[in-house]
Amino acid sequence: MGKAAREASRERLRQEREQAKKRAARNRVLGVVGAALAVVLVVVGGGYLFFAQQSAQEQAFADRYEQLPAQTLQEDGSVVLAKEGVKAPVVEVYADFQCPACKQFETASGPTLQQLASEGKAIVHYRPVSIFAQAQEPLSANSLRAAAAARAAADHGKFVQYNDLLFENQPPEGTQGFATGDLKEWGGEVGIDDPAFAQRVEAESKVVDTFTGEYLPRLTSAAQQELSGAEIKEMGLSGLMEWGDDNGVDSSFLQDTYVQEVIDATGAVKDRYSSGANAFNGTPSVYVNGGKMGDAAFSGDGVRDAVERAEPGKVSTEPLAAGAGATADASPEPDVSP
Amino acid sequence: MDTTHQSAPDAAEPAAASRRWAAIQPWITLLARLGLAAVLAYAAVSKLPPALSVQSVEAYQLFSPELSRLIGFTLPLLEFALALLLFMGLATRYVGAASGLLMVVFIAGIVSAWARGLNIDCGCFGTGGPVAEGETRYGLDIARDLGFLALAAIVTIWPRSPLALDRLFGLYR
Repeated sequence: MGKAAREASRERLRQEREQAKKRAARNRVLGVVGAALAVVLVVVGGGYLFFAQQSAQEQAFADRYEQLPAQTLQEDGSVVLAKEGVKAPVVEVYADFQCPACKQFETASGPTLQQLASEGKAIVHYRPVSIFAQAQEPLSANSLRAAAAARAAADHGKFVQYNDLLFENQPPEGTQGFATGDLKEWGGEVGIDDPAFAQRVEAESKVVDTFTGEYLPRLTSAAQQELSGAEIKEMGLSGLMEWGDDNGVDSSFLQDTYVQEVIDATGAVKDRYSSGANAFNGTPSVYVNGGKMGDAAFSGDGVRDAVERAEPGKVSTEPLAAGAGATADASPEPDVSP
Repeated sequence: MDTTHQSAPDAAEPAAASRRWAAIQPWITLLARLGLAAVLAYAAVSKLPPALSVQSVEAYQLFSPELSRLIGFTLPLLEFALALLLFMGLATRYVGAASGLLMVVFIAGIVSAWARGLNIDCGCFGTGGPVAEGETRYGLDIARDLGFLALAAIVTIWPRSPLALDRLFGLYR
């Protein structure tokens, strides 16, 4: 090989090395840019799918109530869901928002009840109670806070939606839940934009704090000094509170609150269904025209069957006079007698 | 892409300045990179939930409802992805360029809203939408976006910085 040839081959080698280096650098850049694009794709694509699914769910939640008939607030704070002027069996639902069996009932049969009401086949009478009002914290406060907030939602004609949302978000027994902030936020979720709702929820939650934190312990210890355990049990919460008013434990802070209303409603159902096969002894209790349903209540089909077999019935409460915020005069003929 | 800094060999004075620059530059880029990442991440999070972000996009009256929805959903995600990449320092130069491009698009959007006499909040951070007449602050928004554009330019022109994944792959060392 001549000198010139050696030179040329060396030059060629040098060029090849140079090119290989450039290629390697380009590949590194391509690799890194590719990795970055993959990150963008995963974040944007994955996030988009997540958002889209979330919004589809929200839409489905909003649509679910499109067919819902009028919700009529009653004098005792309960709510009647029925088509205007319809003649159909009355299904009373007594539930405590903190009771796990009530959540099961709502999940299994709640949608069917709403459907029956929208088809005009049933008059659904929601009657929230608080069987946990005297239970240990945080059970009692959870139960009362939720019931009072649901009553506030009824003022804005959104009880049914709010009821469903409460059960959906029921805290496990024994843990803090139904926080005031959440209760207010859920109002917005069901379409209540009146600030009066949030104010009411806030005020009622403070009443609940006083009730469970100060009033009830004082009432209980005063009663235990003068009465036997059996007597206290016999009186029920409403009776005990009356006794307290006569014996120096003042309950006037509860006046005109929704907390008082749900306590009254709970006392009233025990009087209404006091004995026999129809006796109220816990939640959920479901009555078709005053007859208590058994385990069949825990399935949509069971409820539908019971309603289809029953005769038209009468609602036992009067609608609250107009001006209270609820959808007015959509309820069927009221009947005063229980 | 050549990233080594060529120093002028003629005088000693510029050479020293250039060495000083070579020592400081990676830290300036790091600051710009992380600053821009923080801005983008905050912008992304503050736009959520997506329904509100869609509302901000619709306020510009530039796109069909479907397109507004798509942009409203993906824009915060894109911002977040860019923030993540800037934070990690992956493909720094290109991500910086993309961020800069995004700022240019934002500025163009604001200018167009301004030119059409719309009264909207730019929706750059948090929720946009119509505002009262005289409550607009387009000039300020554009100035701010120009600032972010400058950060993106620094990152793009001098991508070399410490604490970057790029270095693991042999880039911008």
